[in-house]
Amino acid sequence: MIGQLTAVAGQARVRGYLVTLAAFAVAQGLAFVLLVPVLRALFAGDSAAAWPWLGALAAAAAACAVLQYRQAVQGFSLGLDLSRSLYHQLGDHLSALPLGWFEADRVGRIGRLVVQGVRAVMGVPAHLLQPVVTAFLTPVTVVVAALFLDWRLGLALAAGGLLLAGTYRYTAGLTERVDHAVDAAMAEAGGRVVEFAQAQAVLRGFGRTGAAHAELETALRRQHGAGRRSVTSVVPGLALNALAVQTVYTALIGLGAYLALGGSLDPAVLVALLALATRFTEPLMLAAELGGALRMGRNNLARFAEILATPPLPEPETPARETVPDAPAIRFDRVDFGYGGSPVLREVSFTVPPRTMTALVGPSGSGKTTITRLIARFFDAGGGAVLVDGHDVRDLGTEELMSRVSLVFQDVYLFDQTIEENIAIGRPGATTEQIRRAAGLARVDEIVARLPDGWATRVGESGAALSGGERQRVSIARAILKDAPIVLLDEATAALDADNEAAVTAALRALTADRTLVVIAHRLSTVRAADQIVVLDGGRVAEIGDHDRLLAADGRYAAFWRKRARAAGWRLRAGREDRGYEHAAPPAGAAPGTPAEFQP
Amino acid sequence: MLGELLAPVRARLWVAGGLQVVASVAGLVPYVMVAELAGELLGEADPGRIWTIVGVAVAGLLVRTLAAGTAVTVTHLADVGLQLRLRRRIVAKLGAVPLGWFTARGSGEVKKAVQDDVHSLHHLVGHAVLDLTSAAVAPLASVAYLFWVDWRMALATVATLPVYLTAYTLMMRGYQARLGEMNEATERINSTAVEFVNGIAVVKTFGQSRRAHERFARAADDFSDRFRSWVAPMIRIEAAVQSTIMPVTVLLVVLTTGTALVSAGSLDPVDVLPFTLLGLGLGQPLLTLGFGMGALQEAREAAARVSGVLAAPELPAARETAAPDGHLVEFDRVSFSYDGARDVLSDISLTLRPGTVTALVGPSGSGKSTLARLLPRYWDPTAGAVRIGGADVRDLPPGELVATVFQDVRLLRMSIRDNIALGRPGATDAEIHAAAGAAQIHERILASPGGYAAEAGGLSGGEAQRVSIARALLAGRPVLVLDEATAFADPESEAAIQDALSTLAEGRTVLVVAHRLDTVVDADQIVVLDRGRVAQRGTHAELMAETGMYRRLWERSAALEEAR
Repeated sequence: MIGQLTAVAGQARVRGYLVTLAAFAVAQGLAFVLLVPVLRALFAGDSAAAWPWLGALAAAAAACAVLQYRQAVQGFSLGLDLSRSLYHQLGDHLSALPLGWFEADRVGRIGRLVVQGVRAVMGVPAHLLQPVVTAFLTPVTVVVAALFLDWRLGLALAAGGLLLAGTYRYTAGLTERVDHAVDAAMAEAGGRVVEFAQAQAVLRGFGRTGAAHAELETALRRQHGAGRRSVTSVVPGLALNALAVQTVYTALIGLGAYLALGGSLDPAVLVALLALATRFTEPLMLAAELGGALRMGRNNLARFAEILATPPLPEPETPARETVPDAPAIRFDRVDFGYGGSPVLREVSFTVPPRTMTALVGPSGSGKTTITRLIARFFDAGGGAVLVDGHDVRDLGTEELMSRVSLVFQDVYLFDQTIEENIAIGRPGATTEQIRRAAGLARVDEIVARLPDGWATRVGESGAALSGGERQRVSIARAILKDAPIVLLDEATAALDADNEAAVTAALRALTADRTLVVIAHRLSTVRAADQIVVLDGGRVAEIGDHDRLLAADGRYAAFWRKRARAAGWRLRAGREDRGYEHAAPPAGAAPGTPAEFQP
Repeated sequence: MLGELLAPVRARLWVAGGLQVVASVAGLVPYVMVAELAGELLGEADPGRIWTIVGVAVAGLLVRTLAAGTAVTVTHLADVGLQLRLRRRIVAKLGAVPLGWFTARGSGEVKKAVQDDVHSLHHLVGHAVLDLTSAAVAPLASVAYLFWVDWRMALATVATLPVYLTAYTLMMRGYQARLGEMNEATERINSTAVEFVNGIAVVKTFGQSRRAHERFARAADDFSDRFRSWVAPMIRIEAAVQSTIMPVTVLLVVLTTGTALVSAGSLDPVDVLPFTLLGLGLGQPLLTLGFGMGALQEAREAAARVSGVLAAPELPAARETAAPDGHLVEFDRVSFSYDGARDVLSDISLTLRPGTVTALVGPSGSGKSTLARLLPRYWDPTAGAVRIGGADVRDLPPGELVATVFQDVRLLRMSIRDNIALGRPGATDAEIHAAAGAAQIHERILASPGGYAAEAGGLSGGEAQRVSIARALLAGRPVLVLDEATAFADPESEAAIQDALSTLAEGRTVLVVAHRLDTVVDADQIVVLDRGRVAQRGTHAELMAETGMYRRLWERSAALEEAR
């Protein structure tokens, strides 16, 4: 834990704080020890002899007060600096991680961690380290002092301390195991609850609320069972802790009484030592209650450390800038790639000349998305090379590469700002005029016209105020404003309203005019219009060519085309005839279906 | 609110509180016995009496351990029982609220109420009652005993408490004054952080991670600075006054006063001892109390949220069970409003004859989806009625007549087989396979590991869609509501899905929310909605003959075609 803290907050700071904590704990222990000579003097009837010791006690108390003040202020300050440093380190590191690292569920988890984790870590020095250090060092000081006063009782104290530490460890382990079971049951039940809520429409639609209810009820009962088990196993553990502390204390009383009665121990010393023993057990009791909080703090720190340990994307020392004459806009040179496990791309090679349109076609899982991601350097290729404008993307550096490539993907993220600010992300320092022009080309101005506050309307968290098609138009406006020579496009699969469909099509036409375009194509008209079609299958390039040539070749592409053409001509028709449906004949030659298309 | 939620465990909490009182008092016994022992040892030293004293100390210890252990067990068992009871109540509520209730909030919010908020009550039930009891009883009993021993010494022992309490009150007032601002700053840094994390990928693709990062870093610094400037003065005061109740400080006061009184001959030296034993820890419960209050506040807020969920208005249960006569669907002058102020649908009347397809078309926001969702009772209309076979859907048993296939497919975390059989639990394997076959998914299921027994989570979007169609097929409901399912994660399987849908539509009363005009050309009836009203209705041919929205929509797509 200390190691993790120093990793985040810096060694000197943490060490300084720990020194204060230790000094306080030792000073407190010594102050307690002074109880013995004072009481001994009083019991011996020599109260004058008590005064010098009281003077020493006063000095120790003053030292304690000063140290207590220092550690409180330092602990707060350290916690605050810790949170600030965590924010900064996370900011630095997240900025340097490869784009591919940012998967949706991971991003959600990190969001929560940043919000809750940083706050939790902030309290670690003041609320956790301090009690723990005190609980350990104060008793040790007392034991050492007791050894000097009467070695037998001192040894008894030390033995008692070890017994207590052992009990504590045992019960902490017990608690941790039980907590795991409880957490697992809670996660399972939580998942079932979410499922139950999300599937309400389906469940009610089929009159089966009870069926899922049974699953949920089982999960809830299991959670209840785990809870009961945790009570029946943890409570005895806690009781054991308390029992151990008090047993040690009582044993000391017994031993002391025995020794005193035997005459081998000055009763005054014994009584004073017993008073001291009280001070010995109190901090230990307190520490026993902190086990859970300690574990949580440690887990939070570990999660941060894990993120910070993820290797960032290597950046070139000096990004390549010079133009390579006659270089293709994009070139894949025998590229292999896999997401850790099985390979996704195998020996993929193709070339995209400037200002042409390339359509990527293939069944899901064939590697289309991965190809666009490698161009944008979400990840680095495992083998071979991806070249943009004649340079390996690894030599270009993120900023330079991103200035050449625009991404229009399906999952559009909008910031909870105004539409104008969201578009301006495309090019910092763009004038209002430029922004409005891009917005006009993407027909975002039409959206703005219907919003209550016009351009100043905030779009809500993740752009919730806009529909899917509208969000896409904003993202296209961003790309238009950015004005990069290469556009990577994942064509929308979702059905859009006729209005949005038309608007998106117009927007894409504005964006892709006179640019190099690589598109994951879902619309037949798009595929047909491409200068080059790369047909992928199982991570390999199956065919390359234009529509007519590939159709003539009668290979994978031709089969794909026939199937898709049939789908696009589908009509729903029921009831009146025996046959409930029919398919429009695949149109020969012409692109059928809803004519949503654009071309460079 | 909290009181109502806690009602089932109140009696047990009282019992536990009583046990805790016993435990707290018994916990003082060993200390008192040490003082007694000191008196004996320093005086007569009668062995019999000394061993009696030791025996009483042991007895006190045992009573304390037993009573405290029992109290904790009682509260914790009460707690887990209460949690189960509350979760069941919430779940029952979830099954009864209008479906629209779920659209208004994320599933995360629901989970928070069922799991996290209920869990927050744990501290209150499991710990707070006991902590508060012992924090009150132990110091009071100690102080009473100390006053009985010597009132002057007792006064000295508690002398520093008022100083601490005054300073603490002042400090809390300072915090309160700043609380609003601090919460605001915290929320701001939190939302900035979340937005930074969520948006960093986008920002990077525009090559601007440095700027976003700088903004985030500035926000973090700003938060740090503000937080420091608000809290640091309080922390300093707290740290300073804390030293007034530190055990070491009290020890110094007690011993100095004791020595003075002993020197003056007005106090037996032995009587100093109880104060060093029991006097030093008096301030400790105050700190516990401080921590406990925070948790109490949290529990109170959680209780309010849980109560809020439990108080959500339920979809009225069937008033009387009506028997539908046939499967003619009627929308009779239906109006609907989400917020009670603005009508999303106004005065819509429609008749859907059995065995026909009715298509809803119109621009986004025209109310198509809302209208379609009134049939499976996502909501009830604010005026008018929806009837099937002459019976108001509000009087029909839920889930027996209407099947739905919407864009967001929900498969449950159970086997593919059970997912398909959801609408007809008694279905045979042959029936299930036939439905899957008609939905074009049978072969796919057989080809994957686990087959029908595999959990449904491993399916792709398009496959899940087809399973949901198989489900609707097998359920065999006479009325079908279909959101034209063209939003597929997997466009490659579109043709297969369309075939499945066509099979499903056969011979039923079908209401389809259409996004593509092509799809519905052959529908028996096309209803064009515009801003919540029926703008036009008729067949494709009839509507194309009129000048109206329908023709405009077609002309627009024709213009697109030409633009090619």
